[in-house]
Amino acid sequence: MQVSNNNNIYRPLKAEVTDIIDESPLIKTFVLKPEHDFSFRTGEFIELTVDGVGEAPFTPSSSPLKKDELEVTIMKTGYVTDILHNIDTGFTLGIRGPYGRGYPLDKLYGKEVIIISGGCGFAPIRSLMLNMIAEKEKFKKVTLCYGAKTPEECIYKPFVNEVRQVQGFDVFRSVDHKDDSWDEYEGVVTGLLDTLTFNLEDTVAVVCGPPVMMKYGTYKLIEMGFRDEDIYLSMEKNMSCGCGKCGHCMMGEYFVCKDGPVFSYDEIKHLPDIWN
Amino acid sequence: MENGIRIRLENFISFLSSYSKKHNTYAPVQTDETLDYDYINDLNAGAVVLNVPKPVTPLKLFFLPVKENVTLDDPQEPGSLIVGVPSCDLNALDILDEIYLKEPFVDPVYQKRRANTILIGTDCYGHQEHCHCTTYGSNPYPERNFDISLSAFADHLYLIPASEKGSNLIDEMKGTVSDFEELTELPNGITSRRESAVTELQKLNSKLPDYERTGELIRNVNNGIWDKYSRGCVSCGGCATICPTCSCFLLIDKPGFEKVRQMDACQYPGFARVAGGEDPLHIRSDRFRNRYMCKYVWKPQKFEAVACTGCGRCIETCIAEINKNEMFAELAET
Repeated sequence: MQVSNNNNIYRPLKAEVTDIIDESPLIKTFVLKPEHDFSFRTGEFIELTVDGVGEAPFTPSSSPLKKDELEVTIMKTGYVTDILHNIDTGFTLGIRGPYGRGYPLDKLYGKEVIIISGGCGFAPIRSLMLNMIAEKEKFKKVTLCYGAKTPEECIYKPFVNEVRQVQGFDVFRSVDHKDDSWDEYEGVVTGLLDTLTFNLEDTVAVVCGPPVMMKYGTYKLIEMGFRDEDIYLSMEKNMSCGCGKCGHCMMGEYFVCKDGPVFSYDEIKHLPDIWN
Repeated sequence: MENGIRIRLENFISFLSSYSKKHNTYAPVQTDETLDYDYINDLNAGAVVLNVPKPVTPLKLFFLPVKENVTLDDPQEPGSLIVGVPSCDLNALDILDEIYLKEPFVDPVYQKRRANTILIGTDCYGHQEHCHCTTYGSNPYPERNFDISLSAFADHLYLIPASEKGSNLIDEMKGTVSDFEELTELPNGITSRRESAVTELQKLNSKLPDYERTGELIRNVNNGIWDKYSRGCVSCGGCATICPTCSCFLLIDKPGFEKVRQMDACQYPGFARVAGGEDPLHIRSDRFRNRYMCKYVWKPQKFEAVACTGCGRCIETCIAEINKNEMFAELAET
């Protein structure tokens, strides 16, 4: 396992920004080339450092099968991300990790998988889907329900088109407010679930998005009859050190950075305020 | 009791005095108002106070300073001798070692410091107003995580090694102090002092629920008690700073991809804030509750170790005079 540079858990590896892709007005994807190969499992996260400024956790959005570069999709939403949105290619960032427990692929093999995602929460899901597409024969069916506020804010448009070409994979999208360009669903993302049918005994759900979407997405799945242990959630807290020490991401008895960020609902439902 | 020795107090002090010329040496020293660890040299070695509870600052600060660069390639840690560590501080290492030494995320500076430090634990004869170690399952004398235990009786000190480091130091002591005796057993006087210290502490805290019961009580309590007791809290974080087991920190970025670790506290507003501004602990009473849930429910569940060792420092330091023991006694009554 690579945890850092020079065997010091706090010192980042350097990584050059080789490309920046505009995904939506507030979301960009940064292609990073680390100074040496960097591997991660899908759903594990990294700490991304802007030198001398700050550090923030992100789950790579690229395929874990790629070792020489990785992609991180970032929404402009705070101090570090504001600065990241103003850098150009050629800039050197730092990465630490990978950290945490990613998606439980072994629990998804042989199953139907329903994914509910919203906004920038598509980023880890893209990595998961790239991983699943690479071994698509291992899944019965994969369905993504993705929601954004407006058509303009839908990210990964070319990727969605590619996924729709893959046999056994499907993507349904919703926007809160449509415009003339939109011929898909209008409404909240959970509304898409009413248009689909599942074999509950054989389906596992994955949810990743803003807290309010995670909450109502999970409630909707339970209402539909999903078992708590078949719903996987990506919990995003203030992961700072990434390795279960600094305490900022504690959620009940869990260090989200080490024990998560992916949990089954069954593992965390006893805790108060998980949706905050 | 292998390699244990009995030496006269003055011989031990003169050993400390000469040892401190070559190695960083710390021991409790009484000043006008406080008893605290001090850097020992040949001028103040005589002021060392042993077997009296307890230094104001917790042991953790030797291993986790308030602020330090944690990205140095080869941190220099010459090592220290720390004399007079009470069991509440030694027991706190259970949790700190779990967090900082567990593979695969070993903290390099903490590891080096722990390895290079010799700890001499001591009995507490007597207690302070808020001491309550016995309520939480430990005793006021060294039980684990020490290299040598030291107990005073009459004019003598009884030193018993518990590790290779401790044994080596006792060998070194034997080489410099002529007047020592090999030890076969602790004198009855020490055993009975220990027993009476335990009895006194139990009497002092007879209304306080034990550690496990406290966890059960606070897990099921409603918000009223947290509101009531956190009313005066000014979110200063003093309780966490002085706690021997609290070790949360901030990582601050410095140019050159360097990172500075700075002690943090879950009582500070913004501790749990995430990008975009959401903060699950933005309400003061929620932060207050978080502290006790962490200590009595979550940490023990996660690490199977006690996250409050009963030192009572958080009560002594609180400027709002919040007394968690009063709160738990009240909970136990209702």
